[in-house]
Amino acid sequence: MTRKILIVEDDEPILDLMDLLIRKLGYEPVLISNGPDALVYARHEPPALVLLDIMMTPINGWEFLEKLRAEPALQKIPVIIFSASPSVEEKMATINDPLLGVLHKPVSLTELRAGIERSIGL
Amino acid sequence: MEQNITFRGYSVSHSDIVRVFVIVSLSLCCIFITALSLAQQTGAVYYQLFYFPIIYATYFYPKKGLYLAGICALAFELLSYFYVYPNTVDLISTTGQAILFILVAVVVAYFTEKVNTSEARYRSIFESSLMGIILFDQNTFAIRMTNSCVEQMLGYTEEELRSIHFSLLFSTPEEQRVFYERLGSNADITNFETRLLTKSKEPLWVALSWRRITENMVSTSIIDINSRKMAEQAADENYAQYKQVIENSPASIVILRTEKIVYTNPAFTTFSGYSPADLLGKDLLSLVHEDDRAEFFRFISAPGETTDLPEIRECRFITKSGDVRLGALFFTHIIQRSTPALLINLVDITEREKLKAKIQMDTEIHQGIISTVAHELRTPLQPIMGYLNLLTQDPQTYGVTDETRAILDRCAKSVDRESQIINQMLELSVLDAGKIPLSYSVVPVRDLLVTIADTGGYASKADLVIDAPADTTMEADESKLSIVIDSMLSNAVNYSKPPRKIRVAYQFSNAEQMHRISIQDNGVGITNSQLDEIFEPFTLPGNGGAARKPDRVGLSLSIAKKYVQMHGGYISVDSIVNLGSTFTIHIPKTPARAEAGHDA
Repeated sequence: MTRKILIVEDDEPILDLMDLLIRKLGYEPVLISNGPDALVYARHEPPALVLLDIMMTPINGWEFLEKLRAEPALQKIPVIIFSASPSVEEKMATINDPLLGVLHKPVSLTELRAGIERSIGL
Repeated sequence: MEQNITFRGYSVSHSDIVRVFVIVSLSLCCIFITALSLAQQTGAVYYQLFYFPIIYATYFYPKKGLYLAGICALAFELLSYFYVYPNTVDLISTTGQAILFILVAVVVAYFTEKVNTSEARYRSIFESSLMGIILFDQNTFAIRMTNSCVEQMLGYTEEELRSIHFSLLFSTPEEQRVFYERLGSNADITNFETRLLTKSKEPLWVALSWRRITENMVSTSIIDINSRKMAEQAADENYAQYKQVIENSPASIVILRTEKIVYTNPAFTTFSGYSPADLLGKDLLSLVHEDDRAEFFRFISAPGETTDLPEIRECRFITKSGDVRLGALFFTHIIQRSTPALLINLVDITEREKLKAKIQMDTEIHQGIISTVAHELRTPLQPIMGYLNLLTQDPQTYGVTDETRAILDRCAKSVDRESQIINQMLELSVLDAGKIPLSYSVVPVRDLLVTIADTGGYASKADLVIDAPADTTMEADESKLSIVIDSMLSNAVNYSKPPRKIRVAYQFSNAEQMHRISIQDNGVGITNSQLDEIFEPFTLPGNGGAARKPDRVGLSLSIAKKYVQMHGGYISVDSIVNLGSTFTIHIPKTPARAEAGHDA
């Protein structure tokens, strides 16, 4: 099973931090800064997990998730919403996706490890 | 009238005394002369002399005249008996004479009585007339006669009136002049309205009508029209006043009768651009914006429907220059000249609506800016916090010494606080936009309070007492309520110094039907002037004697206030400077679901 984790995040400093953290946890990060490119990548090489930012252009995290789930091959990929907004849970409750998790920014290494293991273990 | 003396129940005047004297002397003379002539036997008996006292007395006193005639006849008869008896022929002759005395007296009494009755009737009409009547001399204006009505009206007695010249009764020289003019026209005048002066120098409105009854004598009737004139004047004043109010009203006023315009005030001219002449008789509907016509027609053609509760309706109008203006309309059904009419008050709210829209837009822009700025500020914080975390959690890998770590910890704390402020700004901007719904659940109050105290570590910062029954629950949005209570606790800690005492107590108010959670501290307190400010976002407390130092922009209370308002409740504060404050959260027993998501 691949150890690749796709990180979709439009802020470069955060991407850099995630790159460092994911490597530290022993996974292989794939850094992509926008939704459409990330979708192209995921179709080409489905990752073990997607770490997804919400506030992005041209499509936001929720739209990306919708497109991802629309493709049969990608429906089973666990996704962790990676958000700074405290109200993200409310939105998640309306989606009701069992493969969807959440981690609040700022994330510590411990939380990230726990989150990733929880999602991949599902 | 002459002055009267009362004598044995009779009212006696001076002329009465003179008359009685004349009658008695004449009668005695007659008896004496008759007796003398009978005694002389000259053959001539002047019995005709008796007619003088009899007619005279009967003319003035018809009944008593009859008695006198009887007495005279009896005296004459007795004298005849005494002197001519037993001459039968003469006796018959004298008896006939005596009977004739009585007959003449009866005839005179009859006519006199008749004349007196009719004179009394006219006098009583004159006296009891409800109209004042004055007879005056046209040349001298001397008053000859007045009735009691005039006396009552003007307050003078009859004697006083007789000593006054009629022309002097007028209240102003101008009115007197007009009177001379009218009198000089020689025509009979009816209803000449003027003012007379009463004895107490009050002007009195009267209507005069006069007629010449002889060459010099003028009979004038006077009708008191004072109350009518006063009412007319009051009505005129009222009318002028209302007219002034209506003409100067900043609100437009339009009156419709049978749906046609019968009146518009200057404010409506300003509003619509049309002059009253343009609008008179026109249909107001033609000025109404096409899209609003159907509704407007419904307002004006439903008479009676809105009588009890006039509502304000909004409607667009097209002005003369073609602009669209928005008016708030207020309909009242009135009666004008005995016809039902519709009074429309119209307030121009075009500018207000524009302003409202602008404020709404400004607020949205403002919220948008805050939201964007907060997002932009938050993003760069993430890597800082992430790296700081990494360094402090794994110091060996990065060669972090204990000293460096202490510094990094302080950095992390500051970044944390900044992140918290930014999150609160975001939360407020969302709350202002009214986008957040509440999710109600049954919350065990004591458990909630204990959890919040534990999570925030408040027990270690203060002497904390939680006073809430173990089994009490309330319906609320648990996470929001937690944030509210937490910010109150945090506030209590921040604005007090050790030894801190904080008491959290739960109570149910039966009167309000509300749950009450109060948080009492022994802190610096809040001055009255700060009370309103502490719940306002981005407001720094004023300078004057501030108990609370404006050391940071506190948004947590603003958020707490909004959350509580969303629940349909409120927060009250009791505070004494330097003794402490008590914040009380009031949440209704019955969830205010309708209010959820609204900006209260």
